[in-house]
Amino acid sequence: MQTQEAIVQGLAAEPKLNYLTNGWTIKSWLLTKDHKRIAIMYLISVSVFFFMGGLYAGAIRLELLTPASDLLESGTYNKVFTQHGILMIFFFLIPSIPAILGNFLLPLMIGAKDLALPRINLLSLYIYWAGGALVLFALMQGGIDTGWTFYAPYSTTFSNTYVMLVGLGIFINGFSSILTGLNFIVTIHTMRAPGMTWFRLPLFVWAHYATSLVMILGTPVIAITILLLALERVGKIGIFDPSIGGDPILFQHLFWFYSHPAVYIMILPGMGVISELISNFSRKKIFGYEFIAFSSIAIAVFGFLVWGHHMFISGQSMYAGLVFSFLTMVVAVPSAIKVFNWTATLYKGSITFDTPMLYALGFLGLFLIGGLTGLFLGAMGLTVHLTDTYFIVAHFHYVMVGGQVIAYLGGIHYWWPKMTGKMYSEFWGKISAMLIFVGFNLTFFPQFILGYLGMPRRYASYPEELQVLNIFSTAGASVLGVGLLMPVVYLGHSLIFGKAAGDNPWMLPGLEWRTASPPPTENFEKMPVVTWEAYEFGEENGLDLEGARKRDAEAIPTT
Amino acid sequence: MSDNHQEHEHMSIAKYFIVFGILFVGTIVTYVVALTDLDGMFFAGANTLVALAIAFFKMMCVILFFMHVYWSPKLIKLSAVASFFWLAIMFAYTMQDYLTRGTGVFGQ
Amino acid sequence: MSTHSDTHEHHHAPGLQHQFEDMKQQEESVSIGMWMFLVQEIMFFGGLFTVYLVFRSKYPMAFAAGSNHLDAFLGGLNTLVLIVSSLTMALTVYYAQKGNRNMQVILIVLTMIFGATFLGVKAIEYADKYNHGLVPVTGLNKKIKEEKKGEHGVGHETGHEKPCYDVDHNAPVVEHPNPKGEFLWTDCSLAKLGLDTNTLTTDEKNGYFSNEQIDADKFRDKVRIFFWIYFVMTGLHALHMIIGLGLMAWLGWKAFRNTYSAEYYMPVEMSGLYWHFVDIVWIFLFPLLYLLGRHFLH
Repeated sequence: MQTQEAIVQGLAAEPKLNYLTNGWTIKSWLLTKDHKRIAIMYLISVSVFFFMGGLYAGAIRLELLTPASDLLESGTYNKVFTQHGILMIFFFLIPSIPAILGNFLLPLMIGAKDLALPRINLLSLYIYWAGGALVLFALMQGGIDTGWTFYAPYSTTFSNTYVMLVGLGIFINGFSSILTGLNFIVTIHTMRAPGMTWFRLPLFVWAHYATSLVMILGTPVIAITILLLALERVGKIGIFDPSIGGDPILFQHLFWFYSHPAVYIMILPGMGVISELISNFSRKKIFGYEFIAFSSIAIAVFGFLVWGHHMFISGQSMYAGLVFSFLTMVVAVPSAIKVFNWTATLYKGSITFDTPMLYALGFLGLFLIGGLTGLFLGAMGLTVHLTDTYFIVAHFHYVMVGGQVIAYLGGIHYWWPKMTGKMYSEFWGKISAMLIFVGFNLTFFPQFILGYLGMPRRYASYPEELQVLNIFSTAGASVLGVGLLMPVVYLGHSLIFGKAAGDNPWMLPGLEWRTASPPPTENFEKMPVVTWEAYEFGEENGLDLEGARKRDAEAIPTT
Repeated sequence: MSDNHQEHEHMSIAKYFIVFGILFVGTIVTYVVALTDLDGMFFAGANTLVALAIAFFKMMCVILFFMHVYWSPKLIKLSAVASFFWLAIMFAYTMQDYLTRGTGVFGQ
Repeated sequence: MSTHSDTHEHHHAPGLQHQFEDMKQQEESVSIGMWMFLVQEIMFFGGLFTVYLVFRSKYPMAFAAGSNHLDAFLGGLNTLVLIVSSLTMALTVYYAQKGNRNMQVILIVLTMIFGATFLGVKAIEYADKYNHGLVPVTGLNKKIKEEKKGEHGVGHETGHEKPCYDVDHNAPVVEHPNPKGEFLWTDCSLAKLGLDTNTLTTDEKNGYFSNEQIDADKFRDKVRIFFWIYFVMTGLHALHMIIGLGLMAWLGWKAFRNTYSAEYYMPVEMSGLYWHFVDIVWIFLFPLLYLLGRHFLH
């Protein structure tokens, strides 16, 4: 059977020139058109920004250990949380999975040699570096204190910080996002291998297609918003100034038109990873493939209709609030459908608790809490009490960190052997995953309570009776920090000392597992012809994990 | 094997000039109609409606014939339609706020 | 490394990139890619159209007043110029497919001439605004010193002696002193018209009047918003035109070197898509900015 042959052949591949060893000069990396090298360069850059954003988070939690604003005074604290937000959102979360895992895996998963537009891919990376460098420069000059949402009129009129420079950096970075999305859409349409029909695509690909739609349709609007902000700072016309007839809420409409769909950019790729992890580590075909695929598209589309739920108390009309509130309830439905389908996939699956699966299971619980609290916030009555409190902070960290970051880590671990050809230490992987889970919950669950009790966000000081919960939160943050640093150590260690992973260490049916680890530059020795459906497991397909592991131990020498 | 175009020519030169003529006339009509007071004759906003309708028609001529969308695959047609749909979302949902402001009671 | 060279003779079409199997795949990819780019451009301009929509629905009379001070003839001329350039661009694609080098180059040059004409007319318009104190940013208008008292009988004229709605459109234009290069506006006739015909919106009722009188400063602020939108939208459009001219220059050079033929002409077609898009934006900008309030002028 072709499937079985293909997998057996994959097992027996000999070491050859792969994408890492194909050229050792700096020029061969910086001028590469290979999507895999671009993905690795993104990995390094994005990790740097993640680390810096993490430092700012550490500063926030340290300050909030005590009720008084003693470690950082208010002006500095404003800069710290603003910069934490900007670095994490624009330079870590939005690129993370698409630019790293998406870039690396999309052509492999569809059986292509590269993305459709490799030079655009490289341009996207350069633009990311340019935007990032500009923002870093601005931070070193003195930073920005407007909040990552840089609302008018503070950002246009009153702030004395480097709003223009940071704005320009984000503006430029937006084009990196747009070009990546553009590239993915073209690739998925035109570069699929023969036999790879739409409904044989891995759900990771569907998720990235939906994400790319959002990137293309939404990002230009934040670009124009930043442009208007810059023009206001320079020209002082007053389009956001009510005293001359302008409207500050117009800024918010334009801002959130992008920034709400942006949060879907910051979860859909993670959901794609989770679909892969859940199915592959329960060795069971995903339940409700079409439902999950169409839900991804539905989330992308409906996500554009709900931005006003960030503006319930801003002064927009109550009627508009009503419409946005109703649609917010609607947009939760596709996400819920996905969670049900993942859970159904687990049922009667043959689950192995490898590190990636630990992350996937963690995602299910944490995303559930994050999503449900989002529904609380979508209800207008409740939101009046909870807006601008720590409840919001806890909600979005549950979905963004408990969702996307957990999925990102799961994906990095899952595809690490494919990307590097090495296996990491499973022991340290599990320890780290559990530390992250515990640390995360200890950090952010108390924040729900704090928010409900009324602690406002973006304040350096708070009433004394809230200190105990804040101490829990900071303690959790320390654990989370340790947990997040550990992969840097053991993954780095694996690059040099790790056991050589075979081409298909977990015996999985995906197309990316049917080529060498690490893959050759052109991805496949022979263009694959796909004759199987997605997620086909079972002994008849040659995917007998137990048997293969036994053969592995005999056939491939362990180093 | 070199590429295989079904249609080498979408339109003849004469047809391009005809479309151009339509666009030219459309512009003149827009200008002249703008000078007449349709708002007084029909309803408030009539001038704007007519101007936008003509502009929309001109745009369709450019999109379908100059940009060859008439002969393009469905995906391209869908992209063109979808982008206007998204514009409509942005306009409609923003304006639903502005048009319903007041004391918080419907319609006032 | 190529995967199907063993099955049949591999004719390398000119311009075929390594990641594609054949020209058809490349053309399809490039076409979808370009359209995705245009989709995001539409959303980019769309944000500005949203701002226009919001402010026009709030202050229609101020917008009409500002619009009447734009030169609709020049605007209309520019529209025609762009439509002609779209024609020459479409014909360029036609001749590129035919591999006719000379006609391609001629038509690209013509397209560039018309594009440059458009920008030239825009420059004239902008200069006119500069001279008449209609640039919304303080300091960016022509600075006109105050006349000394006694000469020509003109004193510290600010244009506010008369009620601002009595401006006579047929009177010769008087140069108002403008030492700081501020935005000057004295024509409140449309505010009065709106008041008389009871067609003002709620925002206008609050926004144009103080103590039940037309407040020239307040009205001027709203008209200033119109001019700001005019400059930003046409400015961004002009920037896209300049980029388009650069694109045409590159295309013209490649066409001159006989790069394009029936087998490989997609860059011309894609450049054409960009050019037509810029044309379409103007097709909407023209009536929305220039022709708003013409029907009030009788």
